[in-house]
Amino acid sequence: MHDQATVAFKFNGRAGEYFAIWIVNLCLSVITLGIYSAWAKVRRKRYFYGNTLLNDSAFEYLANPWAILKGRAIVVMAFLAYSLSNQVNPLIGLALVLLVLVVMPWVIVKALRFNARNTAQRNVRFGFTGGYGRLLVAVVLPALAAIVTLGIAFPYFLYCKDRFIVENAAYGTTRFAFHGTVGNYYWASFKVFLVGLGFLIGSVISFGIGALPLYLLARSYAISTMARLRWANTSLSEIRFACAWSAGGLFGLYFVNIIAVIGSFGLLVPWTAIRTAKYQLEHLSLGPASALSGFVAASEAQVSALGDEAGEMLGFDFGL
Amino acid sequence: MSVAAVHYDGKTSQRSAVELSCDGVSMRVLGSGIDRAWPWAEVRISSRVGNTSRHLDFPDGSQCETADNDAIDAWLAAQPGASRFSVHRIERRLRYALAAVALTGIAVWLGFAYGIPALAKQVAFRLPASTERLIGADALRALDQTRLGPSTLPSERAAQLQKLFSSVTADLDGASNYRLELRAGRRLGANALALPSGIIVMTDELVALADDDRQLVAVLAHELGHMRQRHALRSVLQNSTAAVLFAVAVGDLTSVTSFAAALPTMLLQAKYSREFETEADEFALAYLAKKGIAPDAFSALLERLQRAEGATAGLDYFSTHPATRERVERSRAKR
Repeated sequence: MHDQATVAFKFNGRAGEYFAIWIVNLCLSVITLGIYSAWAKVRRKRYFYGNTLLNDSAFEYLANPWAILKGRAIVVMAFLAYSLSNQVNPLIGLALVLLVLVVMPWVIVKALRFNARNTAQRNVRFGFTGGYGRLLVAVVLPALAAIVTLGIAFPYFLYCKDRFIVENAAYGTTRFAFHGTVGNYYWASFKVFLVGLGFLIGSVISFGIGALPLYLLARSYAISTMARLRWANTSLSEIRFACAWSAGGLFGLYFVNIIAVIGSFGLLVPWTAIRTAKYQLEHLSLGPASALSGFVAASEAQVSALGDEAGEMLGFDFGL
Repeated sequence: MSVAAVHYDGKTSQRSAVELSCDGVSMRVLGSGIDRAWPWAEVRISSRVGNTSRHLDFPDGSQCETADNDAIDAWLAAQPGASRFSVHRIERRLRYALAAVALTGIAVWLGFAYGIPALAKQVAFRLPASTERLIGADALRALDQTRLGPSTLPSERAAQLQKLFSSVTADLDGASNYRLELRAGRRLGANALALPSGIIVMTDELVALADDDRQLVAVLAHELGHMRQRHALRSVLQNSTAAVLFAVAVGDLTSVTSFAAALPTMLLQAKYSREFETEADEFALAYLAKKGIAPDAFSALLERLQRAEGATAGLDYFSTHPATRERVERSRAKR
């Protein structure tokens, strides 16, 4: 039956079109000393979300640039305070670092919530319900355990992190469900570890010449393995996901991206962004497609953008 | 004229095909089981981004999505008082995009080459003396802990050098708080540096390298040049500001590798140092001329340094200096 079929995400972004959006974004951001960057971010995200189609329905990015600007201003001021205080007295810098560590879980939760709330599909918004306390217990404790056990508990931390992100996410009023087991994560991490070992050995044997491509390959393997594991264990009501990212595919993608960005002095960044999104999205599918119609929207609630901006600057932007 | 669209009721993810039509005053949504007209002013239409589909939000929370951007744009343009400006109009034209490339390049270059240094200079010269002292003492402590060791010069030689330093700073105004710190250079080798708040560090290796004290006077004059222009403070301010601005500006391109992002800042750092070195050189040469010391005292030491540098590989403060040959020639030209 046609409706029982799986359906892949489709990405329609075009490099030429995005180049113009990107360069105008960059230009206006530079000329306005960074103020426009909040609007630039919204346009960029709207372009990528709007070109992401699932069964002919586009995703929507709904964030208010003013909220992003406010968050961005706070983050930049905190960063400035940190770098200046470090020049004056390292102790103040240390205190600030500790403060950031305490605030960080809150920032992460806020970022996840802001991103989810401002993403919609078929006029139904996504949501995220995790809070500070739950993050501390579900993710920060396992992270500390990973440190204390010198990495032996790291796969357990990865499991907890994925579980936290998936189980607290919702589409409308329907929560995502997570089916992974700790065993899955230890097995996958073991394979990633072996490949990492291969990278180290290969780098030494090739006297460092092969280090960069081998590192990229090991990283591609790690990313694709963990992504496949995460998506295979994620469900939304009766919908199951399948991720087909492969180590070879990602390696080719990243390798060409790096060469292109360096070789073009950054001008090919839009092209690499488009082809990356295309690969990532078009190797992701879900099914049965017929179940897409049955979701109920949640009620409105406002979420501050502060967490989102801080999260992105610190590398915590959880994309699709 | 009607436009094909899909309709979402905003309560469920159900979709249904509809036709949109507009008579200039209201918008009509017509499909199976739907026939509603909304006053045009109450329909919120998303702005155009590339060729992504448009979303039209209605007051009851329902929404229509259509890929027919041109029809929507035509409806918008037909409204009285419609704004003709949109970012999309800029993005759509190739020559605007190319102009944006050029404008971005020029603005970034101007900002980094003139804007930030000018700003840093203003701040550096306005910083309260107490703050500067704090920074200077801190920098020296950090250097002592990581790079430098206690000086092993005999005490009479150290006293001699202190006297030499006093004689050099004697006829400079506002130099009463300047002081000379002698240290073992360790990995830094033969070196001298000017820290904020009047601290000049000179290494034993440099003292040993010099043929005579005239050469050391030349080096001290060079460092005093840095000091009086507050170069140390300015480069810290410039570099941190440049790093922050760069992070903000490229906040749009999170996908670039950190290497590509760090490269320009590093290049700019090297350039800042070069400009400052040239300034300090000029100060030193002017000082030597005033004192009647031949400028080859300076060039001789520079040449010795270059020879010594060839022997000691690794991290070297002097590696960011302008090419020694260039500096030697400039000091010769002053003769």
